[in-house]
Amino acid sequence: MKKNIYPLYFTFGALGLYLMLFVLPGVMGIFYSFTDWSSYSREINFIGFENFKTVFSPDEHFVSYIFNTLQFTAITVVAKTVLGLIFALLLAEGIKGKDFHRAVIFMPAILSVLITGLIFRSILNPEYGLLNEFLRFIGLGALEQQWLTNVKLALYSIMAVDTWKGMGYIMTILLAGLQSIPRSYYEASSIDGASFWGNLRYITLPMLMPAITVTTVLNLLHGLKVFDIVYVLTNGGPGYVTEVLYTSVFKEFSLGKYGLGTAVSSVLFIFMVFVGYFVIRLMSREEVEA
Amino acid sequence: MKRFLAVILALGLLVTAFAGCGSIDKTADTTSAAAVEPVSSAAPAATVAEPVPEKKDVTISYMLSQGWLEDSEKELGDKFAAETGIKVDYQVIPSAQYFNVLLTKLNAGECTDIFGSQSGKFDIVSQLNIEKNAVDLTGAEWIQRMDPLVTDQVSVNSKVYGLTIWDTSPSFPVVYNKKIFDKLGLSIPKTYADLKNVCTKILESGVIPIYEPVADGWHHVLWFPDIGPRYEELEPGLIEKLNNNQTKFEDSAAMELALTQLQEMAKLGFFGKNFLSATGADTENNLGTGKYAMALSGFSTPSRIQEAVPEAKATDFGFFEIPLADNQILCMQPSGPSRFIYSASKYIEEAKEYFTYITKQENLQEYFLDKDTKKSNLCFTGVKNKLTDEMNNYISSYEKKGSYLQIQVKYLNPQWMDIGKDMVAMFTGAMTPKDMLKSIDKRRADQAKAAKDPLWAQ
Repeated sequence: MKKNIYPLYFTFGALGLYLMLFVLPGVMGIFYSFTDWSSYSREINFIGFENFKTVFSPDEHFVSYIFNTLQFTAITVVAKTVLGLIFALLLAEGIKGKDFHRAVIFMPAILSVLITGLIFRSILNPEYGLLNEFLRFIGLGALEQQWLTNVKLALYSIMAVDTWKGMGYIMTILLAGLQSIPRSYYEASSIDGASFWGNLRYITLPMLMPAITVTTVLNLLHGLKVFDIVYVLTNGGPGYVTEVLYTSVFKEFSLGKYGLGTAVSSVLFIFMVFVGYFVIRLMSREEVEA
Repeated sequence: MKRFLAVILALGLLVTAFAGCGSIDKTADTTSAAAVEPVSSAAPAATVAEPVPEKKDVTISYMLSQGWLEDSEKELGDKFAAETGIKVDYQVIPSAQYFNVLLTKLNAGECTDIFGSQSGKFDIVSQLNIEKNAVDLTGAEWIQRMDPLVTDQVSVNSKVYGLTIWDTSPSFPVVYNKKIFDKLGLSIPKTYADLKNVCTKILESGVIPIYEPVADGWHHVLWFPDIGPRYEELEPGLIEKLNNNQTKFEDSAAMELALTQLQEMAKLGFFGKNFLSATGADTENNLGTGKYAMALSGFSTPSRIQEAVPEAKATDFGFFEIPLADNQILCMQPSGPSRFIYSASKYIEEAKEYFTYITKQENLQEYFLDKDTKKSNLCFTGVKNKLTDEMNNYISSYEKKGSYLQIQVKYLNPQWMDIGKDMVAMFTGAMTPKDMLKSIDKRRADQAKAAKDPLWAQ
């Protein structure tokens, strides 16, 4: 095998910056999660697992925030992938003005979260919102809901908005994946009399697995890190029902409880590394087997 | 040779990268130096040539919560900029997020030149760490004209840190539509039973009894601490015991009673179906059109209703105190949104100049009272108030007066927005009134512990 053209020390500059700007703050964050660091005192004392005990204590709300975060992640990963795939298949070919349709579906992805949040707060307003007004207009007034203030619906409404915003991006990645599948496979399968579902199951999905792996990991990390859309739409409410881990980290920091804030953040960091690693391994294996 | 070139190239890349960072700093220094220069050059010029002070080319930033900035103050800011060259960049943050943003900025050491916050002698220490984060303003001329009770709420250890320009009229009374009351033969409720009866009859008539903008995050909390003097009346010594950590909120039967009644009001539909998504901006419109009959709102609400809904008259609206727990004590407000100068600001002198300018007698009268429809009176001597007969009658109809709870009890005001969330959880049934009080106690203990309060150490 040919020897690498560039020597290893070429990476030192980038590696140094990466260590300094990403790894070091991360490690320091984990260190601070074992302390009572706060804005109220200059002293920082080592307190062992005290902050982590608080995070997992039944007296606190953090466990429900973890559950909300996981629920949000699981549902949005599936929803974005399925819808992104459906749109990618629909818009891959054989449709008039496909570029226009693709652009329309991709558009929400480039909108600022703040703008999206404000627009949807207005659309989902139970009294004057577009959605309920529309339902009333078509005679389905019985279906109108308090989308963002009903404790049973609020989190799902946020998930729906996030899916609406994110699926266009996923669709684009999957479209690129679809276009890399050789046409000859489909030609061969059509000669053999394969149906659409047969094509999907035995050609499209297996060939699309690398792209799906990428989108799943992206969605997964996005879901676990969710903050802005929740913050803008409900600010964690009504009460605490839509609170997620990062909104709680923000609140702990704003209260000056840095130690506890970093502990919550560390829990999420460890979880993300763990989940990310296994998802990639699992999906890569399926890819190889396929 | 190749290796040598590679090393040179790598070093070159590194040097360029760091030089790039360095050049940013230099530019920043130059900019700040350029911005500061006129200030320093203006000082000697003023001492030698006296009268015409040189205009500065400076922009000071001022962060505050939505609802604290009126157009009249912005107009005054423009006038100030035209006269001094110092521009004010008002950064308005939505009220539901304001305190989180403010505290994050203060804790991160990156706050604006001026920041707004509620006054309160306990909270500005425990929450804002005001002695560290704000500039000592003691000695400013305007302090002599500010109401001493108000000054006390922005002072720590005899040093004044804030400027409060706020309405010293009573705190949020219940503003009610007299026409609706007359039509249904209702009179002002003096007990909770009366209030329940009034609301039931209004609801039966097809009008929603009370407009409560819960979505703002802070407004609905008012129902609880505004009747603070009533808790003290029912349980004498309560406030002192709370401050000495000798009792807890959860042990107060009076507080639990008030919250239980509030929860019942929500359950009975007195706030309407969609109150959790209601916002304060619609208050005047909803009262003016008669869709709602009452709202907990400021003294100037009737005149603002008249502005928003021309067919409604300010005189159609009256006031009464919140009768939860049968409260009949007038709630006064010695505190309010205040301005502080950030101690790490580069433009402390310019910010002080802004304070001096806006507190000139004529500016207070014109821009903070006459042009500001939300205020009826100011916490400054020498200004002419706008209290109407209706307001004076309301004030004189209550024999007892007191101040709201958050000004009297330590570690309460900083958790205002959290109490708001608890209260929403209580409205939705996720928490009981007792749970809510326990939650307040827990946050008080956390704050006291973090502040190393000796009374909470035992």
